[in-house]
Amino acid sequence: MQFRLEKRQEPSKFMAYATPVAAVALTMIIGAIIFSLIGYDGVGAVREIFLTPLTNSYKWQDLGVKAAPLIIIGVGLSIAYRANVWNIGAEGQYIVGGLCATGIALLTWGMTGWWILPLMMLAGMAGGMAYASIPALLRTKLKVNEILTSLMLTYASVQLIYFLIRGPWKDPMGIGFPQTRLFSEAARLPTIIPGTIVHLGVPIAVLVAIIAWFIMSKSVFGYRMRVVGAAPHAARYGGFSENKTIWLAMLVSGGLAGLAGMLEIAGPFQRMVPGFPTNYGFTAIIVAFLGRLNPLGVIVAGVVLAITFVGGEVAQTTIGLPNAATGIFQAMMLFFLLAGDILIKYRVRRVMPQTSTEVA
Amino acid sequence: MDLTLAIIVTVVGASTPILIAALGELVVERSGVLNLGVEGMMLIGAIAGFVVQFHTGNPYLALLCGAAAGMASSLIFGFLTLSLSANQTATGLALTIFGTGFSALAGSSYSARPVSLMEPLFPAELAAHPVWKVLFSYSFPVYFSFIMVVVIWYFLHKTRAGLILRAVGENDQSAHSIGYSVIGVRYMAVMFGGAMAGLAGACFPLLLTPQWAERMTAGRGWIAVALVVFASWKPFRLLAGAYLFGLVMTMELYAKAGGGVLSIIPSELWAALPYIATIVVLVLISLRRDASTNAPACLGKPFLPSN
Repeated sequence: MQFRLEKRQEPSKFMAYATPVAAVALTMIIGAIIFSLIGYDGVGAVREIFLTPLTNSYKWQDLGVKAAPLIIIGVGLSIAYRANVWNIGAEGQYIVGGLCATGIALLTWGMTGWWILPLMMLAGMAGGMAYASIPALLRTKLKVNEILTSLMLTYASVQLIYFLIRGPWKDPMGIGFPQTRLFSEAARLPTIIPGTIVHLGVPIAVLVAIIAWFIMSKSVFGYRMRVVGAAPHAARYGGFSENKTIWLAMLVSGGLAGLAGMLEIAGPFQRMVPGFPTNYGFTAIIVAFLGRLNPLGVIVAGVVLAITFVGGEVAQTTIGLPNAATGIFQAMMLFFLLAGDILIKYRVRRVMPQTSTEVA
Repeated sequence: MDLTLAIIVTVVGASTPILIAALGELVVERSGVLNLGVEGMMLIGAIAGFVVQFHTGNPYLALLCGAAAGMASSLIFGFLTLSLSANQTATGLALTIFGTGFSALAGSSYSARPVSLMEPLFPAELAAHPVWKVLFSYSFPVYFSFIMVVVIWYFLHKTRAGLILRAVGENDQSAHSIGYSVIGVRYMAVMFGGAMAGLAGACFPLLLTPQWAERMTAGRGWIAVALVVFASWKPFRLLAGAYLFGLVMTMELYAKAGGGVLSIIPSELWAALPYIATIVVLVLISLRRDASTNAPACLGKPFLPSN
């Protein structure tokens, strides 16, 4: 008995929803086995990473705070990837967004006023957009691959943080620490639930995803993105300029990454430090794929990835699992998801050996 | 004179891993596959090479295990993209994320433990005179990288197997219809690329910094991918490109050590320079008329036989 792949008439809707769930489930099972084989408490690792953050209600606020930037960046990336624009430099756009917001916070230091936070938000988005427009410009004018340029800019932006916080933005009272001064009250994001760390960025993330879902499914913009990605020839025939789509995709994904950077710097960090780049921009790539490039799916996927981050920290203290294990679980999820993609377009058929030799 | 020699020796050391990894990726891309997991495979090779060097002290075994580990990790990519036709861009990224996590986990108990660097290949007497030093003071991977430039050029352009590999990358449907196994050829290419990336990764603890550090390849795998484009998929141009980048990185080292004129520019800018240089180089290449015509026609596209 042999198996053969047979092309489906239409992509399977059921599989599109089922494979992300199956990918998470498989990651838990295979992950437990692999980690047991290499000498860790595999079952314990999966329990702590995937279940403890959900069952312990005092971890929920951490989930919200970690999920927010992942969702915001993931939504932007899902829109870009739909259009086949491979922005993988969201981490750099997040960093520049955070830096621009920091710039406003330092300029307005000591001042009060309701306008400071919105201004930081605009600066963050503008920074992310500006940084994303470099790969967009190079791709549209010179056909330079956006994957490489957006990624190289990420490495460069990390150095920009170091330069600014060691030099011009260094905290005068910081006893030599490379960091900026603490933002004043008016430049810090308010918490929305008293007594928790849940800040304004959490509802903003959900709002961004819902708006994006609405735009992607109901507007011409969303239609353009989906058509250009799925059928570039048809899109050109239909009068959608490819270059304009690339610009839109880069600006939206860069702007949202910049917004996430602003929310992180004004929320949890409240000052620029060397540890500001936290890989949210890279993890959001997994979020976008796990959410099936659908903004509502991205909300769920963002929470799932946030669970693994929070759970990874739990597992570190309870069973001594190194923090790096989280990354392995996250990558496994993406591997299983990509492997499962084939089931959307193909179905598995059993064939008898005789018929298969005949075919060959 | 002495400083010039020292600089040349440093440039060679910095260029070698990039050259080896990029040569592997060049062969992979010539077969029509875009593997963006080079950085991840290099990290897996780096930790494998480090661990073997730490426990056995045999650098050749360490290089071999680094290559084997890189090849094993490339099989994940090969299985997903070739057997299951998964998206190559996404799978390559996933491999890099996996390699980063895997190497960090495997290396978590080895931080701040030194190993010994690889000894030069030729006896010290041969490299005693400064001029001979430029030629004979390196360890095995350096000479290996030069030999591989010629070997890969010869393989691609002068052998039948190389012709088949290029045919698979240029027109997979035709290659398939004449009876060549497109998937089989691509598997071999991907495995070769994985072995080269793993070996390149192992060079980091063996040639450059004799210890394990998380993400110690610091984006060199991505630069290797960019270099293949820069070199228009040609091995000898790759050699030139890798040494150009080695030079830029060496300037950073000298700037950090407070080297005269170089220190006028902030050290952060020096550190960012290899990445900015990569972008500049990609832009310059795109201005050339033959830039995109050299790309293998089937690059990045999954192969599905039409019959």
